[in-house]
Amino acid sequence: MKEILRIIIGLTISCLVAAVVMGSVFAITDRAKKHNEHVKVQETMLGLLGYGKANPPPSELRFATIYRYILNENGNIRLGYMLPVFENGRETFEFMIVTPDGDFVEKLPLKIEPDAASEGPERETALKSALKRSTIFSFADSSIVALKGKDRIAYLLPSEFPGFKTFIKVMLALDARFSVIGLEIMEHEEDPGLGAEIAQPYFKNQFKGKAFDRLKELKVVKEPLPDEYKLALEGKALGKGAVSREEVDALRQKYQGKDIFAITGATISSRAVTDGVINAAKKFSYRLKALEKVIAAQQIAVAF
Amino acid sequence: MKARKKTNSQLFFNGILKENPIFRLALSMCPAVGISTSVMNGILLGVAVLFVQVFSSCTISAIKNYIHPRIRIPTYTLTIATWVTVIDLMLAAFVPAAYKEMGIFVKLIVAFAIITMRLETFACKNPVGPSFWDGVGMGLGFTFGMVALGLVRELLGMGTILGYDVLGFRPLLFFVLPAAGFFCVGLMMAVFNYMEIVYNRRRKAL
Repeated sequence: MKEILRIIIGLTISCLVAAVVMGSVFAITDRAKKHNEHVKVQETMLGLLGYGKANPPPSELRFATIYRYILNENGNIRLGYMLPVFENGRETFEFMIVTPDGDFVEKLPLKIEPDAASEGPERETALKSALKRSTIFSFADSSIVALKGKDRIAYLLPSEFPGFKTFIKVMLALDARFSVIGLEIMEHEEDPGLGAEIAQPYFKNQFKGKAFDRLKELKVVKEPLPDEYKLALEGKALGKGAVSREEVDALRQKYQGKDIFAITGATISSRAVTDGVINAAKKFSYRLKALEKVIAAQQIAVAF
Repeated sequence: MKARKKTNSQLFFNGILKENPIFRLALSMCPAVGISTSVMNGILLGVAVLFVQVFSSCTISAIKNYIHPRIRIPTYTLTIATWVTVIDLMLAAFVPAAYKEMGIFVKLIVAFAIITMRLETFACKNPVGPSFWDGVGMGLGFTFGMVALGLVRELLGMGTILGYDVLGFRPLLFFVLPAAGFFCVGLMMAVFNYMEIVYNRRRKAL
């Protein structure tokens, strides 16, 4: 009996110590980690649009984010869109509720600062005070519209889907006609050397430039990636030292209509990414069209 | 153990050659087979293991007198998991550039046999100093093994070393696939065993 007690106490104490250590490290690092992630997302967004250190973004470039929520109003499923709007020249948010078929239900003003809107908990408190108490809501996804002045230059879609091991988080960039501008893998835990190759340029850049109609029917083929295509995807041109953009573009053009070449030894991961990208693009184009119809009918002064 | 006490430098080299975790102790074969597809992977995983091994070894040898023998294995796992979490969070917060490369490797480490085994056979019987050197030796030995495997597999499979094209063609793509990992590990073990036989024979001849 004494033995058991000692074991129990020993284990409990070591677990507590471990918990305290991990907890305090988490408390110390959490802010810096969040900040790093935020910076990474910003950099990725600009990178997908072709801006970076060498090519700084123009000052009129801005991002407007639409947050989509799923609501349960006493058993009725509704979609809630948190839309950035212009009100007296200031940017605020408005919450619009529609049925799953795209019929307008109601719209509510939201009390939230534009800077605070990127934080999930802040949005939740704002929504709680705006919605009826009995309504249950949960965050679905967000879509970012990149604008240059008043023109939409791209849609940036953070997306998440199951990979070979756990979820793969990506950021997909579509142009105004839903063709793929680029794909960036944000977070994944696939196997190094196999599934982790999805983050390599020779895989993710295969999506670049695929038109929306082609994207919808995109498949994964288990064929070796042609060498010249690989070089083009990696941004290197053929031949020693002869780096010309035209050559790379010509090669990319040549393989534009091709399907996605699977990564050797990681067909499941390749398929997961391809299906995830197709899904994200398809659903987004469908939802955006439905949303725009409602916005036009309700004459909401949206900021995108 | 106490009968033949080793000096720190002996402990250090013990892990690299005589008791190399991969080729001599045949521990942590999963990463050795699965991840050693390139030199870079080997280095990153090796460095991650090195840190976790050293920290865990020191922790366990410092608190060894307070651990009830019946619950030592859970305590080891707890210690390793804590260090892995701490390193993971620290990297993510303060060295995001390194985290981008190392992140997936660090999370894999919790289940590595080599770390638990060194805690069980060495750290819980020795003071902090020797445990530290044993940890460093084992970590470097693991890194060395992973790099050696990665070198062979990357060169033969992709024709590159550290991503630089060396051969200009791919001799045998088979070598980057998981199955070839077993072949490589087996062949390397044979080489190490052969070296030991030759070494012992020469020593006898002297």
